Amino acid sequence: MAAFLVRRLLQMFLVTIVAAICSYTLLYISPGGPIDQLLGERQNGGVNRINQDDILRVKQRFELDIYAPVRFSRWLIGWPTGPILGSIGADWTVGCAIPGQVRLRYPDGRTEIVEEGCDQPVTLADLEGRKSSRGVFFLDFGVSQVILRDRPVIDLIGTRLPYTLYLMGGSTLLALVIAVPIGVYSAVKQYSRFDYTMTTIAFVGSSLPSFVFGIFAILIFSVLAKQAGLPYLPSGDAVGIRDYAIPLLGTIEAGSFFDRFLRFLMPCGVLTFISIAGWSRFVRGSMLEVLSQDYVRTARAKGVKESAVVLKHALRNSLIPFITLLAGVLATLFGGALITETVFNWPGLGRLYIDALGRSDYNVANALLLINVVLLLIGILITDILYTIVDPRIRLG
Amino acid sequence: MSTFSKRSIAGLMLLGLMIPALAACGGTPAAQEPIRETVVVVQTSAPEVVKETVVVEQTAAPAEPAAPAANEAFTTPNPILGDLRVRQAIAYCSNRPEMIASVYPFLNEEQQQGLLMDTFLPKAHWAAATTGITTYPFDVEKGKALLEEAGWKDDGNGGRANDAGDVLSLSFTTTNAQFRQTWSAVFIQQMSACGIQVIPTYAPGSWWFGSSTGLQRRDFELGAFAWVGQADPGGQTLYSCNQIPLPSNNWEGQNYMGWCNDAASKAIVAANNTLNRDERIKQYGIVQAEFTKDMVSLPLFNRTEAAAASNRFEGFKPDPTDYYTANADEWTVTDGDTLVLGFTQEPASLWGVVESAAVQRTAAYLLGVPASTSFSYDYQAKGLKALSTIESGAAKNEDIEVKEGDMVWNTAGEAVALAKGVEVVDSTGETVTYDSGTLTMKQLTVTDTFIDGLKWEDGKPLVKADYELAHKITCDPESGNVSLTYCESVATFDVTSDTSYTVTFHPGVQWPTYFAGAGFGAYPAHQVLSDGRTLADVPAKEWSTLPEIAEKPMSDGPYILESWDKGQSMTFTANPNYYKGEPAVKKIVIKFIADTNQAVAQLLTGELDALGTETLGAGAEVQTVLDAAAKGDVQAYTIASPTWEHIDMNLFVK
Repeated sequence: MAAFLVRRLLQMFLVTIVAAICSYTLLYISPGGPIDQLLGERQNGGVNRINQDDILRVKQRFELDIYAPVRFSRWLIGWPTGPILGSIGADWTVGCAIPGQVRLRYPDGRTEIVEEGCDQPVTLADLEGRKSSRGVFFLDFGVSQVILRDRPVIDLIGTRLPYTLYLMGGSTLLALVIAVPIGVYSAVKQYSRFDYTMTTIAFVGSSLPSFVFGIFAILIFSVLAKQAGLPYLPSGDAVGIRDYAIPLLGTIEAGSFFDRFLRFLMPCGVLTFISIAGWSRFVRGSMLEVLSQDYVRTARAKGVKESAVVLKHALRNSLIPFITLLAGVLATLFGGALITETVFNWPGLGRLYIDALGRSDYNVANALLLINVVLLLIGILITDILYTIVDPRIRLG
Repeated sequence: MSTFSKRSIAGLMLLGLMIPALAACGGTPAAQEPIRETVVVVQTSAPEVVKETVVVEQTAAPAEPAAPAANEAFTTPNPILGDLRVRQAIAYCSNRPEMIASVYPFLNEEQQQGLLMDTFLPKAHWAAATTGITTYPFDVEKGKALLEEAGWKDDGNGGRANDAGDVLSLSFTTTNAQFRQTWSAVFIQQMSACGIQVIPTYAPGSWWFGSSTGLQRRDFELGAFAWVGQADPGGQTLYSCNQIPLPSNNWEGQNYMGWCNDAASKAIVAANNTLNRDERIKQYGIVQAEFTKDMVSLPLFNRTEAAAASNRFEGFKPDPTDYYTANADEWTVTDGDTLVLGFTQEPASLWGVVESAAVQRTAAYLLGVPASTSFSYDYQAKGLKALSTIESGAAKNEDIEVKEGDMVWNTAGEAVALAKGVEVVDSTGETVTYDSGTLTMKQLTVTDTFIDGLKWEDGKPLVKADYELAHKITCDPESGNVSLTYCESVATFDVTSDTSYTVTFHPGVQWPTYFAGAGFGAYPAHQVLSDGRTLADVPAKEWSTLPEIAEKPMSDGPYILESWDKGQSMTFTANPNYYKGEPAVKKIVIKFIADTNQAVAQLLTGELDALGTETLGAGAEVQTVLDAAAKGDVQAYTIASPTWEHIDMNLFVK
C-alpha cells in the first residue's frame, strides 16, 4: 500500500506538471489577449491613443515580454526574480521587449516585413524589482490581472468558493440520494412502467444541455409563473437585493434564509436533475449485471428475502463501478458548474472561470485549471483506495 | 492472412506522424532570395494617429537593384471596382432597409430609416453634412443602367459580362459572425438581382482583423466591417492619402480602400488640424461630399442597441455616446427608494486611470462629477461652468515662435526638443521639417473652471491640492496608466484656485476635444487611509492596489459607494454632500449578471430596474423586452448605436 501511494503521488506530481504546462501554454497561445485588445483600442486614436511605450508597459504587466519557459517558471515556483545568487546571469536574456524587424525585398518588387531577432532584450537583471508571486507550487497564485486588478487571485477564489461548494455540494448530495434508489428500483423492476418512465426522463436529461434546462426553468418557474400571478421562484442570483412578494408566500426579505433557499432551488434542481439522469442509468446497468450473478440466484434459492437480496447482496457490489464515477466529484465540487452558474447568475467559481477566460485574466484561469487538475487527481487516488475498502478482492500494490 | 503485431502498428503510426513533420521541415524549392534589410522602428506619424513607419538601413548587399516603387503591390486598379460607375451601381442596387430588417426584425419602418447612413457620420452628428453629398436611394434600374454604361452587359442568364467575356464577379469578405452573415445574404441577393455575382467569404475575426492578415493586408475586393463613431469625428487615419496600408509603409494606416482623393485628403487633414468648429464642419463637409461622390465605401446602417427600464424608473436616458448613469442625479422612482441596475461585467477596478471599460465608466459616474458629458454626439458642460472653448475665451490657440531646443509636439505625437530633422506642424497647418532658426507654431492654452460647491462625501470642499494630486498621479508612469500620450502633451499644469486650473500644451498640440475638460479629475488629497497615511503621501505605484482608490473611492458625485460584494453587486447610497443636494433615489444597486437572458428575466420579474445598451445589446432578447414594453410591462428603447456597418471597396489589386 505504501509503495503504491508513493508511486501514485509521484505520478500525480508528474501529471500535474504536464497539465500545468499544457494549460499554461494553451491559454497564452490562444488568440486575443491584452495586446490585441490594446491594439484594437488604437483604431480609434484620439487623446488616449496607444503608442509603443504603452504596449511595452502592458506587455510588462502581463509578463508577455518574458519568454514562455521563464514566465512559466516564475508562475510555477516564483523563480527567477533577478540574477541568480546576487549577480550570476545578470545579462542573460530571458525575454524580448521589442522584437526586431527585417524587411524582405523580393526581386519581383514585393516587400514583406517579418519579425526576427530582438531589438530590446529583457535580461535577468531587468526582472529585479518586478512584482512576482512566490509560485503556485507554494500556493501563491499571484494577482488577478484583469478581474480584480492587482489583488490576489486567492482572495477572488475565496469569495466565490462558498457559493460553489454550497450549490455543488447540495446538488451532488441530492443527486446521490435520489439517483441510487431510482437506479436500483429500475433494475429490480426492469421493463416496468416505472423503468420506462425513468429511462425516458434519463435520456432527456442526458441529451439536453444544461443551459436549455436553465432557460426553460427560468421561463416556466420564474417569468411565466409571475406573469400568471402564481407563486414563482427568483430567476437568479444567490441572494436578493430588495424584498419581494410572492403570491401565497408573502413578502420575502432580501438576504434572509428563505430568500437564499428560494434562489438555490432552481440551479440546484437543474444540476441535480442532470446528475440523476446519468447516475441512475449507471446504477441501473450495474445493478442489472449483479442481479444476474450466480451468488444472487443462490441467495434467492436459499430463500433469502428479496429485500435482503437486493440491498445486502446486490447493492453493495453494484456500487463498486459507481465509485469510479464519483472520482470526479471532488473536482466538480470545487470547479463548479460553468454553464449553470452563468445561466442562473450564481456567483461561483464556474462563472469566475468563464469570466477569466473571456477577459484574459491568465492568472485566475490558470489557478482554477491547476486546482481542478490537482483535485481530480486526488479524487482518483481516493477512488482507488476506496476500491480496496468496498471490494476486498482488490489489492493495491 | 498475416496479422500486424502491436509493435508494428505502433511503428506505422509513428511513421505516419513523422512523415508530415519531415515533409514540413523539408522546405520548399529554392525561391528567389529576397534582399534583407534591418528595420528600425521610429514614430513619424501625424499627431492624431499612431503610425510606425520605418527607416531602412541596408545590412546586406542587394543581389539586384532594389525594386522601384512602381512595382509595389496595389498599384493596378481593380478591373471592376476601379470604375466609379460599378461602385455607384452597387450602391444603387443595395436595399439597405431590407438588410436592416433581416437583422433587426423587431424595428418598424421609421426606426429602420433612422439607422440608415449616407456618409461616414451618423445623421445626428454635429459634423454630418446635410448638403453637397451624393445619396444612393435603392434604384435597381439606375444601377443596371450604370453597369450597362460601364460595359457590363446582361448575359441572358441573370449575370453580366463585358465584351472580353469577363464575368462581373466580386469577392466579398467579412467575419463569420451570424449578424454579418445574415445581412450579407440579403446583400448578395440584391447584387444578384442587378447581375453582379458576389462570392462571399466568412472569415474568422482573428484573420479578418489580424494585424498581418485580412483587412490590414487589404486582402479583399468588397469587405464588410464596422467602425465606431465618436463625438469627435477624427477620420484622418481612414481617409487621407498617406494612410493607405502598403508593403512599403509596413501596412500602416486604415485607408483600406486605397482611396486617394486629393481634395478629401487635404480636407480631412485640415479638419483634424484646426480647433475652429465651423471650419471643421466645412472641411468634414468636403470629405463627405467627395466620399459619397467617389463611393469607395458604402455606408449601410448604424447598428441598433436596446436599453430597458422598469416602469417605476423615471429619468432613464440611454444615449449612443454617453453612459446612461450620466444623469443619475436626476433619476426618480415612483415607489420605494432603490433602483437596481444590471451590468454584464464587473469593473476590474473603480480607478479610471487603469480601467477604461464601459462598466467602470458607468459605475464611476455615480461617484463623481465629470467635467463634461457627451450626449448625442456632442459635448455639454457638467462639472465645468461652461465648455472651455476658444470662442468663450476660456482657451487660446496662439501663434508662438519656437527655436532649437524648445520642447514641441512632433508629428509622431511625442514631446521632443526641437532639433534639426524634427517634423512638426507649423501654425499654417503644414507639416515641416525643422532645420534651423525660428518657427511659428500654434500653442493651445485651456483654462477649465469648475462650478462652485463641489464637495467630497465627507463634506470637505475640493481644493487646489486635489487637482494637483490628480495630475501628478495620472501622469506618473508608475501608476499603471495605459496611455500617457495626453500627459506628455501638457507643458504646464497650473492650478490657479480651488475651482480652476490652466493647462498649457506643448507647441503643436491641437487636441480637437480640448474644451471638454483636461480629464485628470481630482483626488481627495486629505483622505486618511486605513494604514494612517494620507492619500497625497501614497506613491503612484501603490495606487492601483489601494482599496481606497480601486474598491471604495471617495465620492464627490451624487452617490457614495457603500459596499462592493465581489461577483455580485455594488451598493451606492445618496450623497448628502452632493453639490446639487441629495439625489431623490436613496439607494442604487449595481448587480452583475453575465447572461443576458437572466438579466431580462430579472427585469421582467421586477428584480432589476434598468439594463443599459451594453447589457441588453441587440440579440434575440430584445424582442422579448419590446414585447413586454408593448404590453406596458416595462419601458424599452432602441437607439442607433455609434457602431456602423459598411462595405469597403478595394480600388486596387495586389
